[in-house]
Amino acid sequence: MVAKGQKRKLLEGRGGAWESQLQSVLDISMEKFHRDQALVEPSLLRSVLISNTLRQVQSEVRAQVESLSSVKMPSKPQTHSGLEPDFPSGSPSSTEHNAPLFSLNDENSNTEEDVMAWTSEEDFSLSSAISVILKDLDTVIDAGQGPPRAPLGSVENLTGDARHTQYPPSSSRTERASNVVPSVKSEAACLGCPQDVVLEKLLLDIDTSVFEPEVNLLQGFSVTADDLVKYLPSLSKSPSASSSSSSSSHGQATWEIQEIEHVMDILMRTYPQS
Amino acid sequence: MKCFSRYLPYIFRPPSSLLSSSCHTEADIISTVEFNPTGELLATGDKGGRVVVFQREQESKNHPHRRGEYNVYSTFQSHEPEFDYLKSLEIEEKINKIRWLPQQNAAYFLLSTNDKTVKLWKISERDKRPEGYNLKDEDGRIRDPTTITALRVPVLRPMDLMVEATPRRIFSNAHTYHINSISVNSDYETYMSTDDLRINLWNLEITNRSFNIVDIKPANMEELTEVITAAEFHPNQCNTFVYSSSKGSIRLCDMRTSALCDNHSKLFEEPEDPSNRSFFSEIISSISDVKFSHSGRYLMTRDYLTVKVWDVNMESKPLETYQVHDYLRSKLCSLYENDCIFDKFECVWNGTDSVLMTGSYNNFFRMFDRNTKRDVTLEASRENSKPRAILKPRKVCVGGKRRKDEISVDSLDFSKKILHTAWHPYENIIAVAATNNLYIFQDKVN
Repeated sequence: MVAKGQKRKLLEGRGGAWESQLQSVLDISMEKFHRDQALVEPSLLRSVLISNTLRQVQSEVRAQVESLSSVKMPSKPQTHSGLEPDFPSGSPSSTEHNAPLFSLNDENSNTEEDVMAWTSEEDFSLSSAISVILKDLDTVIDAGQGPPRAPLGSVENLTGDARHTQYPPSSSRTERASNVVPSVKSEAACLGCPQDVVLEKLLLDIDTSVFEPEVNLLQGFSVTADDLVKYLPSLSKSPSASSSSSSSSHGQATWEIQEIEHVMDILMRTYPQS
Repeated sequence: MKCFSRYLPYIFRPPSSLLSSSCHTEADIISTVEFNPTGELLATGDKGGRVVVFQREQESKNHPHRRGEYNVYSTFQSHEPEFDYLKSLEIEEKINKIRWLPQQNAAYFLLSTNDKTVKLWKISERDKRPEGYNLKDEDGRIRDPTTITALRVPVLRPMDLMVEATPRRIFSNAHTYHINSISVNSDYETYMSTDDLRINLWNLEITNRSFNIVDIKPANMEELTEVITAAEFHPNQCNTFVYSSSKGSIRLCDMRTSALCDNHSKLFEEPEDPSNRSFFSEIISSISDVKFSHSGRYLMTRDYLTVKVWDVNMESKPLETYQVHDYLRSKLCSLYENDCIFDKFECVWNGTDSVLMTGSYNNFFRMFDRNTKRDVTLEASRENSKPRAILKPRKVCVGGKRRKDEISVDSLDFSKKILHTAWHPYENIIAVAATNNLYIFQDKVN
């Protein structure tokens, strides 16, 4: 365990310049990504380099967040009041739907929880900046896989590369649905995770002792992430829609938000507020 | 090395261009330059799909000072823009690479490629034509058979030299991604074409079939993090080739080991210098060109800021590293923003493998002498080079006081980039492509 003072000094030393470069690299990369998306056939080399840069930015930010959170939060919070889903009805900041298959692991979501719990403490501006960056990254990285994917989607389907004609429909749709969610609030960033991870996390978070007298509800509630995911009609749609994913639309975004809200309503209804 | 200081500039422009050099069409931008194996011919390809071939003047007693001047020999349209209806994509006609075949008869052969299709062109001379046909007259009109009273044998009469280019083979439909390299094998029977993810081996005679020898496409395209950027056959060993990647590694493969060369025989990779690590480390490590030395003992690679020479027998680190324009290291963020960081510079060996040459910005190009470790920066520009003048070495001022002839980093013109250069196989003659202008410099030997 590194002494608090030392860690802080390290961060401050990097602080401003690193953060501004991080932000500018992120901004430039996102701008390039959007521009390339508009092209019919973006260069594969360019796309790969840009998405690798974005990944690197993301991992650097996560490393920073982890080092900061390990300094400030020796123990992880037990409750997650901040996790009450609060879905904005408006459109998300990013309407990328193309290829949200960058999977985040549980460790990352825990880190983001820590960020959320920690925002009420000192260094609020830095942490919120990092949260914003992380949230941006979640949407961008997921969509950052777009360039290698979107133009090649049609190629794959048509040139007879039989192995790669279709992406696994369930996982792509799952993550596409969850991808739209992170918009305004930092806690929403957590929900940029693949949906099964989100749901499992939410299920674990619930203090199950509350439900013991209500066994029926709990049973009805103990569905797996996969089962809940089936509630979303989008998942049963044919994967051929993925080829046209390059034409993103607000309509699709809000529709997917509504689906998420629908699922969350189900979860909320099954246990009453105490 | 005396050749650094004494060069005579000749300036050529595509003959079909009627515009002055200050304004030019996009189609005139030279996209590749290549000498043929004897150095007699020099081919350039441009963004408009045209190939212009220059031929060296023969030595003549009447005009001794014109020795070595290159004049236009042939111009032809190699590739046309195409539209892929299936994918709704336009296929650019820009010539990405030209490679000459060794000469085996009176005709010359070269391979030229755009993003999708490789073509074998035959360039041949015609200086005689048959005259005295029986059934048609000199203009080609059919003669009235009733007027024919006698038979004659057509004879060949001399005519003005005509150089014609004909496409002999068209190798198409083998690449899903964009072709970035072609390389002729030393067996002179096969060649390979490389795109972002695959390398295909062709027989020069057979156009409807090619063999895939390298495939780095992941099963799941979302896992793609590395692409192939260049590839070349060994100059002597017909079973050996190398390919470079966007992550800065070079793989040497032996085609005898297996049909699919996905597993390399050697991997050349330099561990990253942690002190130089930045967000752009990976992008600037991407190799834009790889070339075997003429001897086959060394490899040269070009990444954004350096040229490296590798010993084929040592994979752990390069033998030599040369800084091309290290003053750009602190400007990487702006260069990322204006896309210059993605520029793909080529590099070339001289005939004896002792000097390396590569391009930079502001129409500068650099030469490195491997023996003396001296380097020089020269400029390919109309204003600074009068015919037969000696090229003056240039210098970029990094900071502090700028001397009179120096240019500061912030004054560099990043739109004037020298991506393509070529060195004569035996002599000290170099060809430098600066946007739409081709400069040919030669060492003045007294």
